[in-house]
Amino acid sequence: MPEVRLVGLRKEYGSVIAVNQVYLTVEDGEYVTILGPSGCGKTTLIRMIAGIIEPSDGKVFIGGKDMTGVPIEDRDIGYVFQNIALFPHLSVQNNVSYGPRAKDLSPDVQNEISRKYLGMVKLLDKMGMFPSELCGGEQQKTSLARALASGSKLLLLDEPLSALDSRVRVDLRYELRRLSKELGITTVHVTHDQEEAQSVSDRIVLMRAGTVVETGTPEELYARPRNLFSANFIGETNLLEGWIREVKDGVSLVELRNGGLIKVAQTDMEVGDATVISVRPEFMFVAPEGMKATVTNITFMGTYSHITAITEDEEEVGFDVASLDGNLLTIGKELYLAVNPKTAVLYPKPKNGIEEAIRLE
Amino acid sequence: MPSIKLIGLKKSYGDIKAADGLDLEIYDGEYLCLLGPTGAGKTTTLRIISGLLKPDEGMVLLNDEDCAELEVEDRKAALLSQTYALFPQLTVEENILFGLNIRGTDEKTKEQVLISMLDLVRLSGRSDAYPAELSGGMQQRTALARALASGADLLLLDEPLRALDARLRISLRKELRSLIKSLKMTAIHVTHDHDEALVMADRVAIIRQGRILQVGTPADVWDRPITPFVANFVGQSNFFTGEILKSGSVASLRTDDGVVLKARPTEMAPGTKAVLGVKIGNTDVSRDKPGYFTARVERVIFEGRNLHVDLRMENGQMISSKIPSWRRGKVTEGDLLNVHWEEIKGTVFPIPPGGLENELKVE
Amino acid sequence: MVFFLFFVILPTVYILSYAFTSWGSIQTFVLDDPATMKVIMDSIVASFQIAGIVTVIDILVGLPVAWMLVRKQFRGKRFLDTLIDMPLAVPTAALGFSAAIFFALTPESLQAPSFALNAISSPYLLIILLHVVFSYPYMVRSLSAILVQIDQTYETAGRTLGASALTAARTITLPLFRAGLVTGIILCFARSLSETGGTMIALATMANSQGFQTGPTIIGQWKGMLGTHPDLAAPLAFVSILLILLALVLLVVLKLVIMKVRLPMGRIWPYPERFLSRGLVPKAKDGLAILFLIIFVLVPSFFIFSYVMVATPTSLDWGPFTDSLLFSFLIAGVVTVIDIALGVPLALYIAKNHTGRISPILDVLVNVPLIVPTAALGYSLGVFWTSQSLIPTYDVLLIILAHVAFTYPLVVRNVAGAVEEVDPTFEETARTLGAKPVQAFRRVLYPMIKGSILAGAIMAFTRSLGETGATLAVVSNANTAPVYIVNLIYAGGYYTAGLACIVLIVVSYIAMLTLRYITNGRRSR
Repeated sequence: MPEVRLVGLRKEYGSVIAVNQVYLTVEDGEYVTILGPSGCGKTTLIRMIAGIIEPSDGKVFIGGKDMTGVPIEDRDIGYVFQNIALFPHLSVQNNVSYGPRAKDLSPDVQNEISRKYLGMVKLLDKMGMFPSELCGGEQQKTSLARALASGSKLLLLDEPLSALDSRVRVDLRYELRRLSKELGITTVHVTHDQEEAQSVSDRIVLMRAGTVVETGTPEELYARPRNLFSANFIGETNLLEGWIREVKDGVSLVELRNGGLIKVAQTDMEVGDATVISVRPEFMFVAPEGMKATVTNITFMGTYSHITAITEDEEEVGFDVASLDGNLLTIGKELYLAVNPKTAVLYPKPKNGIEEAIRLE
Repeated sequence: MPSIKLIGLKKSYGDIKAADGLDLEIYDGEYLCLLGPTGAGKTTTLRIISGLLKPDEGMVLLNDEDCAELEVEDRKAALLSQTYALFPQLTVEENILFGLNIRGTDEKTKEQVLISMLDLVRLSGRSDAYPAELSGGMQQRTALARALASGADLLLLDEPLRALDARLRISLRKELRSLIKSLKMTAIHVTHDHDEALVMADRVAIIRQGRILQVGTPADVWDRPITPFVANFVGQSNFFTGEILKSGSVASLRTDDGVVLKARPTEMAPGTKAVLGVKIGNTDVSRDKPGYFTARVERVIFEGRNLHVDLRMENGQMISSKIPSWRRGKVTEGDLLNVHWEEIKGTVFPIPPGGLENELKVE
Repeated sequence: MVFFLFFVILPTVYILSYAFTSWGSIQTFVLDDPATMKVIMDSIVASFQIAGIVTVIDILVGLPVAWMLVRKQFRGKRFLDTLIDMPLAVPTAALGFSAAIFFALTPESLQAPSFALNAISSPYLLIILLHVVFSYPYMVRSLSAILVQIDQTYETAGRTLGASALTAARTITLPLFRAGLVTGIILCFARSLSETGGTMIALATMANSQGFQTGPTIIGQWKGMLGTHPDLAAPLAFVSILLILLALVLLVVLKLVIMKVRLPMGRIWPYPERFLSRGLVPKAKDGLAILFLIIFVLVPSFFIFSYVMVATPTSLDWGPFTDSLLFSFLIAGVVTVIDIALGVPLALYIAKNHTGRISPILDVLVNVPLIVPTAALGYSLGVFWTSQSLIPTYDVLLIILAHVAFTYPLVVRNVAGAVEEVDPTFEETARTLGAKPVQAFRRVLYPMIKGSILAGAIMAFTRSLGETGATLAVVSNANTAPVYIVNLIYAGGYYTAGLACIVLIVVSYIAMLTLRYITNGRRSR
């Protein structure tokens, strides 16, 4: 039985449509991330699941039961807020035991539960402290323990890591997934950070302007995104315009606007179609022949260097080289770039132009 | 345009030492990133340079002149804060021209500056809008234009991209740097995000607990960290404790379990207790290539371009490795793999006083 | 700052020194005179009892309404918002008259309309009802101000953890509420303690007030008699001293007690609390609260209008009344200008210098004139100025100085509060862009606090316009509008008093509307 099901969910504020006809199913025990830029409706969506906001239309099912008219406190959920929202007047332990206390469980049981979950997030030694005495990462871990201590099997995370330093974020995001899987909990995690989404999810739901653009596993969305917006949002990519010259033997030959020729292992379009190819920087490389370009910038990225170059049609492309090889390139150098046919993805050229199709805000 | 020297800056708030003997030199026209965890003293340093805060001790030199007596408004150092602080009752145009209006600049010059600024930050159609009507990215660009148009030659950026979505941040990094560079201004950019610093800076200064730990180009701080903290903060590293076996052209360290690891040259004498650090991105794991030791894969995390692999060594220690995603098929949970890195990518450090764990703590 | 200390604080507490210098006369005329002592003690006890009861009532019925205004969205919310402020626009003199006509048994000559309640014959009860009328808006506004600052996310978090709405409010919001609740209680209590004009009028209007007195009314009465009975000086001083000291002591005690009291946090009863959170119960509670608002606050405030329409008219001698009105205006105007000119700088100082040592002390001192009953304040001030010879003591000057004393804190608190809300980054950024501190203030901070400066000014203006106690305590034959109305009623000119009240109400109401218009205009930008 699926844990969460959204059917035709819609929310409007006056003339603004925040969420527009969303259908989504989250399986029992699945870790799903709802990813998208600010204003795409993801926070409104998760708040409707929690019951904090009432939908204008559509239904929310949790555990198979229709949640229409059911107040927040009866939905049996755990919710972690973006701004953490630990009760400032209660100690860490009392914060975590709030859920059990609200159910009027005995003080002994409350104690046991709070210790168990604080132990899971490794904060037993901070039990008696107050939220203001903790640092950001510890506060958020307490908030997580509090949400889990209510015993719910559904965990809703509203941009739980956005307020934290990037280093702390990286450490904490793995904890989220680990705890969720260990406890066998269904998790819905909202974020605007695609790297975060990729590292924690079983499945990603990409939203834009109130609608779901695409869903898939992190690998699927990275390797074979189904449209230009996804391709650009999920990770960096080069977008090259051109048109289909030939389709043969499972390969499409594309003539690029910048003069180069590229083979793509995809055959769902026809000769003459205007197209846009998406190629990620790590799959473009220097070759004896291919697309002509001139190096404009070399950026040190640690274990590799990111090279920016300008093509014949004045478009910028970026590709990666191992950092030692980066020393061999200089600004102004002319070279040819080739692409691995199996890694490039073809899309029809969007009617309103590429800029509009990938716009973030 | 100015060069800046910070000499022995000290500033305390009760028990907290925000600046504790801070020395730093910033070159004329340079884009310097001040990188460090929250609470390291980055914002305090910026405020002292701007004149908004007076240090307890130490000197700030602008173009080699002590500016202790120089008022905030006379330093020509524009501050761009995390929240942008766009004046809510003024339009985009009025915000951008704020600095020039204060100075009483003539209409013609103001108009020219306005048009070129709006063009530069791609806000030409929005000059009549109020800040509340703009998106996050647009607000940021307005604040930037306001700082650039003010006639300042030093830009102080306090986590300017923090309030933006992750994806937007990545696109704006390049734009921000090239805009500032094109105007030949000196910039000090404060951040906690090492990716941001590596991509944007001419040089990076790592700050922690009120002191500068290391200054250098992105390649310097990445490949040649001076302390374990720097090695781990600018990109995660693996650490192994042991004893120096050999110094000289190639250093080697023997761990407590007797494994011999190699690193780049060091001056430390054989027999000294030391710790070896190597970036997880430089830590290679494979089935075939020989390695220093073996470890078992516990978990593989997909991160788009990379895979983050966590492995457990025989002695129970956890290490990590970052490899490109296209090697996915070759690495699965349970695999026993060889762990190797190029000698030049490893660095040995003396054991930090207070212990390694303490040294690496971020918060 | 010097101004503040010299002109405001010093005069306010000067009377305390009287205790030392003239202990002898206090001994003779007061402590040894059982009749006088009884009158004094009775009136002071009555004042404090009333203030206490009124505050408790206000909390009980004001809290649901404050909650509604802040947390809930419903049609007509703005209307309710305006309604609540209405009693503030009515000067307490007029309120006293209006409420008395509505609630109490009044003499025949008054010709109260037949649909008036005409039920209360106990002066004690009448005064309680009257004080509730004008302190209610203060309580609701104070509670709302605190509630707004408590992030609703805390309650929502509690509910996601399984607590019903009532449980979450009780265990999470209420404890966080405490600090601000103290302010509300203190303001309310002090306001009731201070009240003179309305009380005097109400007592005069009812059929048989049985010689009931409160602390302030005693001061007013005795000061008036001081010319012919000079030995009233000592009792007057004594009452003032007692009122001031007790008020200050109470301020400190309340602050300490409320912060330390451990609220019953232990048990949660899920089922009953759930029941109380849903369905009809909250709606009934809200409905009752609004009903109370209408019957006990709004109707009495405006009953005067129906009175005037129903009773037989007698002509009002417009000349002297207009004179008194203009006089009140003049005073209120001068007072407001002084308040702004000298209050804004002090407010800026307090708001920006939190870390200094002087600032917190100043902060507390600023509140003193607000707590001390205005009648006592007036008397103390009067004695202070008349006993020194640096400045000539014209009547007008004395009244102005007295009014400044208790309106000045209003402006300072308002402006300081607003400045504290503004992120200092705005001014700092302006300075790094080349603006000198003055320029940064003028172009950046000032536009942001303009609204609150205006709000403070209008609060000061209306407060001064409506003040009776301090005026009488300082110059007992003063001719301000409220005093004029009091005298009319003593003389039995009920209808004319009613007319005068209405004019006063209309004028004050226009001032309030202007405030609304300007501050709302600012907010919608």
